[in-house]
Amino acid sequence: MTAVRRVLRFSVAERAVHWMTAFSFLYAALTGLALWSPSFFWLSSFFGGGEAVRRWHPWGGVAFAVALGLVFRNWSKDMRLDSEDRKWLRRAHRYAIHDEKGLPEAGRFNAGQKMLFWTQSVAALLLFASGVVLFWPELMPRGLRLAAVLVHPSAAIVSIAGILIHIYMGTAAVPGALRGMIDGWVSEAWARAHHPRWYRESRAVKTHSD
Amino acid sequence: MIVAKLIDTTSCIGCKACEAACQEWNDQGLRVGVAKSDDGTYQTLPDLRHDFWNLIKFKEVTREDGSFTWLMSKYQCMHCVDAGCLEACPAPGAIFRRENGIVDFDHDKCIGCGYCITGCPFDVPKLSPVTQKVYKCTLCSDRTSVGLEPACIKACPTNCLTFGARDDLVRLADARAEALRADGKGNAGVYNPAGVGGTNVLYVLADATRPEDYGLPRDPTIPWQVRLWKGPIKWIGNAVLVGGVLGAFLHYLRYGPKEVEQ
Repeated sequence: MTAVRRVLRFSVAERAVHWMTAFSFLYAALTGLALWSPSFFWLSSFFGGGEAVRRWHPWGGVAFAVALGLVFRNWSKDMRLDSEDRKWLRRAHRYAIHDEKGLPEAGRFNAGQKMLFWTQSVAALLLFASGVVLFWPELMPRGLRLAAVLVHPSAAIVSIAGILIHIYMGTAAVPGALRGMIDGWVSEAWARAHHPRWYRESRAVKTHSD
Repeated sequence: MIVAKLIDTTSCIGCKACEAACQEWNDQGLRVGVAKSDDGTYQTLPDLRHDFWNLIKFKEVTREDGSFTWLMSKYQCMHCVDAGCLEACPAPGAIFRRENGIVDFDHDKCIGCGYCITGCPFDVPKLSPVTQKVYKCTLCSDRTSVGLEPACIKACPTNCLTFGARDDLVRLADARAEALRADGKGNAGVYNPAGVGGTNVLYVLADATRPEDYGLPRDPTIPWQVRLWKGPIKWIGNAVLVGGVLGAFLHYLRYGPKEVEQ
């Protein structure tokens, strides 16, 4: 069996923060769906019932906001969009159909990942602000509450749509990506194919074979 | 039969018997006093509370000709035909409409999210800090279901309050307004706002052109934000959920994974 040379893609701190974000998002999203409409209320039975959902959904949101803050601290520098990324985004449909000829080479994150990062960051800000308003229905002015009932679900829809794509990409669509987020390592071939610019710059970083 | 309550503000004397009867029947901790309060008003409280569902609003109004008038009107849940609280509620069955038109809360099912507070154009439902559930007038559904009239109506000494079939009360209200107009109150009319499909609590106002003077909103409707939230935004959200999962699945079938040669 030939050994596969591996490159460290994410540090343990990055992975821990990513999964804290993921699980708090999942909790907030599923309990949020229960509060979204009577037709999704059955979801509340998985989380201790409607009263528990009303009580804990906001705190799930706070946990998500904190986790996303840490993600932001870890990655916001790597997530800056440059001119190559803009070129990439114009050809994103080619990426989607696996025809990557002429696509600019991705750095540590490709432009799609960067867009997800910024979309989630903006959506999270909107969700947090409107969530604070919805938390105190009797203290907040009526006008703010009426704005919040529009902003909160709208931002959630955008956020959930982004995460659906993210989960699909990270598991089924790009084999090898998930392992990079679990034990931290990706194969050299994977790094060269998906993130060539990052691979060249990180070759000095730890590698190991298995 | 759809039931209703008619409040003829022209014969209200502000005695607060209805407030006391409401507190008594519904076994509320808060007791109603009749003494003048510290803030210079006869009004018991500034607003309804989770343990106070029936409030006589005392309004001092100066007319255009400079004359002064003191308006009293009973305020409580309006039992809207098109109820904003019901529209906004996410918990199935927590807010429901009885066959007789009463909009009622089931506190075993209420989760205390407070969306009904935002949905209500009359600002009626109130959250209890103790139980974290929302309360309001039930139109004494526990009395009307056994053929009794609501407690407030039973207690009213001036016949300002009437309970009965909605159709009858609409006719009665029109007749009363007509009589008031004939008596020189040209602006007398009925408050039964169309924006919420009509209400099961009807008012006769001596001046129906100025409902604000009685503490009633001019054109109450379910806020368009609540309609948008519970309508198009919900459809878009559901489409995105289903479309996202289905789209990913179809993409995988058509294009498969991005494999890398080792």
